[in-house]
Amino acid sequence: MSSKSLIAACIVLSLLFVTTGAVWFSYSAETLDEVAGQFGIVESRIWNPPFPDYEIPSLRGNVLAGIIVGFVFVMVILGVTFAVGRFLVRTSRM
Amino acid sequence: MYILAVVFWFFSFRKARGLSEKQIPLMASLTAMFFAAQMMNYPIVGGTTAHLLGGPILAITLGPYLGVISMTIILLIQALFFGDGGITTFGANVWNMGIVGTFVPFMIYRLTPHITSTQRGKFAGVFLGALMADVLAALCAGLELGLSSTFPYGVPIAAAAMVTHHAIIGVGEGVITVGIILALQKARPDLLQLPKLAPSWLGGS
Repeated sequence: MSSKSLIAACIVLSLLFVTTGAVWFSYSAETLDEVAGQFGIVESRIWNPPFPDYEIPSLRGNVLAGIIVGFVFVMVILGVTFAVGRFLVRTSRM
Repeated sequence: MYILAVVFWFFSFRKARGLSEKQIPLMASLTAMFFAAQMMNYPIVGGTTAHLLGGPILAITLGPYLGVISMTIILLIQALFFGDGGITTFGANVWNMGIVGTFVPFMIYRLTPHITSTQRGKFAGVFLGALMADVLAALCAGLELGLSSTFPYGVPIAAAAMVTHHAIIGVGEGVITVGIILALQKARPDLLQLPKLAPSWLGGS
C-alpha cells in the first residue's frame, strides 16, 4: 500500500466516522458535558467559536451541514499536520 | 496544567525534529482520522456517550512526542472552531489526552516485551496500553474536575464518574488500536519499523 492509498483509506474512514457521528452518535451527549450537567455545572464561553458543537449556527440540526463541516475540518487537520510534519523535517536538516 | 503542557510541547517539538519524511503521511492520516473519530460519540452505560481518544495509536506507531503534537493539533482546532474542550481548559485537555493519553500506552507497549515476547503478548500490551490510557486520562480529568472550585462534590465522586465510563470506552479504544496495528502490519509493516520519537529511557530515538 502506497502513502497515497493510506491517506485515501484514512479519508474514507474519516468520512464514515463523521457521517456516523452526525447521523447516529451526536456530539450533543458528550460524556463530560453529560456528567457535569448531572452535577449542575453549566458551560460558559469566553470565546465564540464559528461552529459551536460542530454545527453551522444558521443551520442547527441540519445533518448534512454537520457532515460537511466535519469533513472540511478532517481535510484541514490533514493539511495542518502535513505542514507541521514538513516543518519538523525541514528544521531537522538545518 | 498549561505549564505542564508547555514543558511537554517544548520537549516534543524539540525531539520531533528527528521525524522521518516517511512518517508524515501516517501522522497526518491518523491525526485527521481521530479528529473524525472523536466526533463519533458512542453510547455507554448510564445513558451517556463518549468518544475515542486516538492518543494510543498515535503514540504506539509514531512515538509519544509526535502523539503529543498530533493530539495538540486536534484539541486546538476543536477548542478554537467548535468550542469543544475550551480555551481555559486547553492545558488540562492536552495533559489528559495528549500527554497521559500517549505516554501511558507507549510505556505499557514498551514494557510488554520484558514480560512476554510472544506476538499475542505484544498485542495484549497494545490493548492494555490503550485501555489504561483512557482510564488514566479520565482519572486525571476527574481529579481536575473534583479539585475545581466550581464542582461542589469533590474528587471521589468526579473521579469515580469519569473512570467508570471511560473504562468501558477504553475497551473499545483497545480493540480499535489493536485492529489498526494489525492492519498496518499487513499493509505497511515498514511504517511500524521506523524509529519511535520517545525518551531514550523508553527506547526511543
